Amino acid sequence: MTTEPSTTNVTTIFNREYKAMFVNKVRLLLLSGTAVLATTGTAHAAHTAAGTVITNTAQVTYTVNGTAQSTNSTTATFVVDRKVNFTVVVDQAANTKVNIGQTGAVTSFKLTNTTNGTQDFLLDTAQAVPLGILPGVPDFTMGNLKVFVDGNNNGVYDPGVDTGTFVDELAADASVEIFIVGDVPTTGSPNLSEVALHAIVAAGGAAGTKGTALLPTDLNLANADNTVDIVFADNDSDGLLYLGDIARNGQGIAYAAYEIGVRNVSLTVTKTARVISDEVNLLNPKALPGATVEYCLTVNNSTLLTPASNVVLSDVVPANTTFVPGSLTIGLPGVPGIACTLVSLGTLDGYTGSYDTANKTVTANIPTVIGGGSVAASFRVTIN
Amino acid sequence: MFDTLPSVRMIAVAALAAGLAAAPAQAAGPIQVSSKVMVEKKTAAKDGTTSVTLAPTQKVVPGDKVVFVLDYRNTGAQPISNLVLDNPVPQQLAYRSPAQGSPAPEVSVDGKTYGELATLRVRTAAGGLRPASPDDVTNVRWRLASPVTAGAHGQFAFQAVLK
Repeated sequence: MTTEPSTTNVTTIFNREYKAMFVNKVRLLLLSGTAVLATTGTAHAAHTAAGTVITNTAQVTYTVNGTAQSTNSTTATFVVDRKVNFTVVVDQAANTKVNIGQTGAVTSFKLTNTTNGTQDFLLDTAQAVPLGILPGVPDFTMGNLKVFVDGNNNGVYDPGVDTGTFVDELAADASVEIFIVGDVPTTGSPNLSEVALHAIVAAGGAAGTKGTALLPTDLNLANADNTVDIVFADNDSDGLLYLGDIARNGQGIAYAAYEIGVRNVSLTVTKTARVISDEVNLLNPKALPGATVEYCLTVNNSTLLTPASNVVLSDVVPANTTFVPGSLTIGLPGVPGIACTLVSLGTLDGYTGSYDTANKTVTANIPTVIGGGSVAASFRVTIN
Repeated sequence: MFDTLPSVRMIAVAALAAGLAAAPAQAAGPIQVSSKVMVEKKTAAKDGTTSVTLAPTQKVVPGDKVVFVLDYRNTGAQPISNLVLDNPVPQQLAYRSPAQGSPAPEVSVDGKTYGELATLRVRTAAGGLRPASPDDVTNVRWRLASPVTAGAHGQFAFQAVLK
């Protein structure tokens, strides 16, 4: 039986008094409730929450001179420390397509808190000066850059609703959408402008209050088992090619780009008129008083691959004619001289028309004319 | 044989205050068992080898491996037989293995049936049975076959990972 003092070297600590001399019947005494777990944070499925106090106690049974006894070991305790980790990534499939002079152009990011606790995150943004694989000078510089948090969690930037400028109380393993909003300059070459979202982990715990940025606990400090130490475990979020972020610094950076693409298309409108009936001639109707005339407006976008959006056609009904109510039809072009439109597109969203009686103006709204495509609108008038 | 039984007092465990104190002043029972929680620390020696030592738990974050050490000592005058140390694994930890140098414990996935892990089964949600994994272990237990003589002591230890 060895009795040397135990050391902390695991290769020597275990005494070899385990030789079986005889086997006794062993009674197992199960004590419930000794493994008390006091938690200060909410227990989480994925990671044990920071601040959780973990205790370990063993139940001991034995016999002395044939009499069963029981006791407990001392209790070993430690406090789970805060493992700060999070990701911030761009959350859009392609560059945000913008136009010259556009205001409030949005890029989207997603921040996910994988810390074992609830955290605030401080946010800021800047024009990124691309490094590495991209050229070093942005093609244009965004103005009025701001960061907003998706307050209503709908994944879409809602001006006036999503007004938070820091992430407040993001629970462990929860994600939040973050938007950068900026104005496109009125001049610029059609190309890219990158913006960076910079997030810094901050103390949580007070809803509505912006926490202070966390600092990692000094690893050289004396043991602090009963306090929640802060350990940064975040990765280099922007990779080695970028110098904006490094691993284990409690910060993250993601980049998104605004892109000015083609800024105009070749859009032409042709207008034709055709007498439908004149109440006199069954064939070849003439433009007599009381005759019905159909006007046909055909919009053609001859720029291939680039759609024209939000095309609005408006036409003043000629003097001495009267608009036939309900006669406005928007559709794909038909055969000239026979039918202005084929199938009506009025069943689709956004293809709407109206007639302004006071100004005698017909208006047709066409959401999209695809590159190389045409859309026609027809309406009828009667000659007074 | 003695007419009077040795008195055994339950040692009050101060759940939060105990900290890492290895052996606080305990009431005089014939067996003293102290529980410690340590972390493995690897240090490189001059000859290029790496030795693993146990260090106090300064920083423990999810995913870290900790070692629970049970240190027993017979402080009485009589030999102690049938010593059984049953250690419920704290809920937030997943059992991994016996610590280096420690005898392997019997394990249990329900606190009732003990045995080798390979022999244990866990009931699935579908009602069937599947082999138990280390994550399922709820208790570890050591049974000493030989009596602990007066003054003798020893250690058991197991490794677990903080979930």
